[in-house]
Amino acid sequence: MEAAIARNLGSLGAFLPEIVLSAGVLALFLLDLVFRGEGRRGRLTWAFGIVLALAAAALAVTPSSPRGLFNGMVVQDGLGTFFKWLFLATAAYTAGIVVHSKEISRARLGEFYALLLAVLLGMDLMAVSGDLLMVYLSLELVSLVSYALAGFRKDDVRSAEASLKYVIYGGVASGIMLFGISYMYGLFGTTDLALLGPKIKAFSGEVFVAQTLGGATAAQLALVVAVMFVLAGVGYKMASVPWHMWCPDVYEGAPTPFTAFLSVGPKAAGFAVALRFFGVGFTEAAGGGLVNTATVPWPAIVGILAAITMTLGNITALGQTNLKRLLAYSSIAHAGYLLMGLAAASILGFQSVLVYLAVYLFMNLGAFLVVAIMAARTGGEDISAYRGLVRRAPFTAIAFTVFLFSLTGLPPLAGFTGKYLLFAALLQQGGSWYVALAIVGAINSAISLYYYLRIVKAMVLEPPAGAGGPIEVPRTYGALLAGSMAALLFFGLFWSPLYGASLRATQALFRG
Amino acid sequence: MPHLLTYAIFAPLAGSAAIVLLVLLRPLLRLPKEQVDSASRLFALVSSGLSFALTLLLWAQFDGARTGPQFVDHAVWIRGFNIEYFVGADGISIAMIILSGLISFIATIASMPWWVHDDPQHPHFSKRMVPGYLALLLLLQGAMLGVFCALDFFLFYVFWELMLLPMYFLIGIWGGPRKEYAAIKFFLYTLAGSVLMLLAVIGLYYGSRSIPGVPLALADGTPVQHTFNMLALAQLGQRGLFQTLTSLFGYRFDRVVWLALFIGFAIKIPMFPFHTWLPDAHVEAPTPISVILAGVLLKMGGYGILRVNFGILPEATRFFADMIAVFGTINIVYGAFVCLAQKDLKKLIAYSSVSHMGFVLLGMAAFTPQALSGAMLQMWTHGIVSAMLFLIVGVLYDRAHHREIEGFGGLAARVPEYTALMGLAFFASMGLPGLCGFVSEFMVFYGTFAVYQTLVIVSASAVIITASYYLWTIQRMFLGKLNEKYRDLADVNWRERLTLYPLGALSIFFGFYPQAVLDLVNGSLQQMSHVLRGAF
Amino acid sequence: MLHVGLAHFLAVGALLFALGAYCVTTRKNAVGILMGVELILNAANVNFVAFGHYSWGGIHGQVFALFVIVLAAAEAAVGLAIVLTLYRHYKTIDVTRAERLEG
Repeated sequence: MEAAIARNLGSLGAFLPEIVLSAGVLALFLLDLVFRGEGRRGRLTWAFGIVLALAAAALAVTPSSPRGLFNGMVVQDGLGTFFKWLFLATAAYTAGIVVHSKEISRARLGEFYALLLAVLLGMDLMAVSGDLLMVYLSLELVSLVSYALAGFRKDDVRSAEASLKYVIYGGVASGIMLFGISYMYGLFGTTDLALLGPKIKAFSGEVFVAQTLGGATAAQLALVVAVMFVLAGVGYKMASVPWHMWCPDVYEGAPTPFTAFLSVGPKAAGFAVALRFFGVGFTEAAGGGLVNTATVPWPAIVGILAAITMTLGNITALGQTNLKRLLAYSSIAHAGYLLMGLAAASILGFQSVLVYLAVYLFMNLGAFLVVAIMAARTGGEDISAYRGLVRRAPFTAIAFTVFLFSLTGLPPLAGFTGKYLLFAALLQQGGSWYVALAIVGAINSAISLYYYLRIVKAMVLEPPAGAGGPIEVPRTYGALLAGSMAALLFFGLFWSPLYGASLRATQALFRG
Repeated sequence: MPHLLTYAIFAPLAGSAAIVLLVLLRPLLRLPKEQVDSASRLFALVSSGLSFALTLLLWAQFDGARTGPQFVDHAVWIRGFNIEYFVGADGISIAMIILSGLISFIATIASMPWWVHDDPQHPHFSKRMVPGYLALLLLLQGAMLGVFCALDFFLFYVFWELMLLPMYFLIGIWGGPRKEYAAIKFFLYTLAGSVLMLLAVIGLYYGSRSIPGVPLALADGTPVQHTFNMLALAQLGQRGLFQTLTSLFGYRFDRVVWLALFIGFAIKIPMFPFHTWLPDAHVEAPTPISVILAGVLLKMGGYGILRVNFGILPEATRFFADMIAVFGTINIVYGAFVCLAQKDLKKLIAYSSVSHMGFVLLGMAAFTPQALSGAMLQMWTHGIVSAMLFLIVGVLYDRAHHREIEGFGGLAARVPEYTALMGLAFFASMGLPGLCGFVSEFMVFYGTFAVYQTLVIVSASAVIITASYYLWTIQRMFLGKLNEKYRDLADVNWRERLTLYPLGALSIFFGFYPQAVLDLVNGSLQQMSHVLRGAF
Repeated sequence: MLHVGLAHFLAVGALLFALGAYCVTTRKNAVGILMGVELILNAANVNFVAFGHYSWGGIHGQVFALFVIVLAAAEAAVGLAIVLTLYRHYKTIDVTRAERLEG
């Protein structure tokens, strides 16, 4: 008992970023009461920025050598650290969007920032969960706060409706996941992922211990069901088919800055859990590659989900006219692309997911930033509001074009880097099945070009609709747009650093 | 001069960057719009001209007897994936590099507003959003040169895709009435082809490995497992490595990959039935862009097939040779017949490109040295002649603002100089002896006859159709009764002379002295022919 | 004499899960749907406790269930608050009437 407590206390040092974030949540709620008057917006944003900076500093000094914390509940390793940086960047970018957003009123800005920090904390925990209990708890932390943030504009019907849909689908998905976890626990007697791994591997060979369940076949079936059910909770966060239904409605109804956050942060967190779940529980490193140790054909399951997700996302996006909905379907499609990397079930596959997510951060947040600008300046979210944008706000239009082409995956932009690595991961595995999946992915990229081009066409090729004067873009937004473009161009041409970071993060998963 | 190719590729790219920088700095420097426009034009002319001059220097220094790459620049780019910056010129690419430099420069000159007649109802494309247009044009030029120079497959692919973006905007913004449709169609077609190509590229990468006699290494000597180096891949392919890999979908690996690559290139050529983007894109694009499309872009398909399909996968090429020949013949005959039915002059010339690129396919399929050289020469001559044809259409369109063949008549008396130039281009295109089209078509027929007798006979008879649609067009436009509307039509101006006369001269020059080009390419092509026919 | 064992509890769990899923998919009333979610969560709880007791011993299963109960309460609180917001807009909690977001 004392030893366990001592271990917990000893873990606190490595838990510094999370502690900082927790303190930050409380601090912002307090500061919300303190800061009044004209400078409130700026001061709150500064406070939020300082919390993020402190968390980043804490993250920088925390070691990332693989070890378990809190008796295995939390894992400290390179993968978790990679994702934490990603989440911090996402939160910082979101704050940059919120600064000038009219959707988040000045009176409730402190509340928004505090809740955003709570989501950030939850995502951090998702990325480092070493136990299914922790996975469930952190996932619920992210979900519960997200429900509130999606319905943040209480006076807006769409926002209320979005949050109701979010809460219903979210409740069901996490319930299903929990049910799956209960079967995992029943089969193996533990929810610790590190302990599950060897047991799942041994499981295929031995007859199931609890004969009452109907022997090995039934146990095998139970494991498949458990895996599929756990995928439901994770897939819901990724917005992958068939747990994507909430996505377009919530994206459209939620305040745009939060939609931007939602499209990157929780999606990445879902992938963090999936990578760890399958990486630690179901695979092991052998001969320079990975092998699936379980009798569950999870790469095939994930691969089929990937194919359906991207196809459905892209086909449905073709008919959308509301930009937020269109980007929602596009984000479903991107979840499908990302699942290809998971399906490859290899070091390179896991790496490609990491790289893609890092790149996706810049292009998708950038795209939503433009949507936020346009919604604030012209009040239009429809594609027709973007007509002739290149004449009214040339820089914004060019930036949006760059983001859209990067989302399509055209070189020399970073979106291509991500797609290239995903395809490379599949083709490295070889075999007709993986090649077929890659072909589906390739065809989907070509389809996605069509709806991205519709936006570009409206912005660049068509004349402005009605009285289209120049659109004033705040300096912060301009800087964010320029920074995103620069990042996309840089990682499109020189992606060695990103590739190296992802390699270290992935290898940590299989060494620890 | 070291790094010649790199300078040639990056000169236009630098020009493009300079223009963008100028536009960004404009509010700071408080420059009026006219000055920015003029400065952009100056940048464009200088950088494009420099690039052209460098390719000419290349021509002077190139040693046609050697088969390996010359003017090589080789450095590691992305070590994690063995990706290199590797450019070089050999017999397969040198002609295309020079052609690309020449046509690019001509297109830049054709984009200048000199002597343009101002008509408020029909604003000339060369005066709209000038810096944007020129920046994109230069980006396109750099990317095209990059495609021909790249010897690293990844680099090749990056340049290949880089070309799509400027092309989309150049057609979509500065094009004709149906520009948006044409631009999106072009983009979707080529992207669909190129994503398949990307998979094939990665597939070849993972298929490659060191075998005895072909050690794989990076530029700095580090031995590697897989490679994107096209020359190393070609060596591996010629030793039969890719035939032995695990089959895909029940078909042989090399054949599946070959097909994926071929479709990507065939869309660019464009080969029937993938050709439908071409008439739309050519017709809607502004004149200089049509010139580049017909003069250089189509050649990328032919070049890609030679470099990649033929070079890396010779065994699969032998398997598919008959198919290429048949599709080539279909292109020739189909293109010619469709031309007969055209009412729009630009569309007629667009379809004549389909027909003429068929000769390239037919010639390549035969594998004989004469036919391969003929196919290469055909790409060269078509590059010059079709560029000239599109410029000629542009001349008329700038003045009359329409291109209906039936809408003209008896122009020969009003615009004799124009008529002469058009006649020259038409005759060169239909392959009249003494002009360049004749030599290449003759070489293709001569080299192919022994292999595909029937197809050559069918194709040769299509030449009669070619002659008839050109002659009929001349008759309808230039002879007969003068259309009173065009009584005051102005003859060619100096800007147009600047672009048309050099091309006209070249089409005569290569009609008499095709050896100038053949000397460059024969060495490499003979070796390729040798490899391809190895298993016969 | 019937001996109640693990299988019986698992059957109850599975039944609860099925009922919950049915409730979620067919109910139009938002509160009804949230109740269905509760059923699903409690189905899992039954499993946890039963597995903990019969198969593995220890307190792990019970602890897991405790956490779930707490979270279920939190989720219900947030869920009901959102339902209330919706009610203020529509004067109904029939989810089929909330259809501003379609497409």
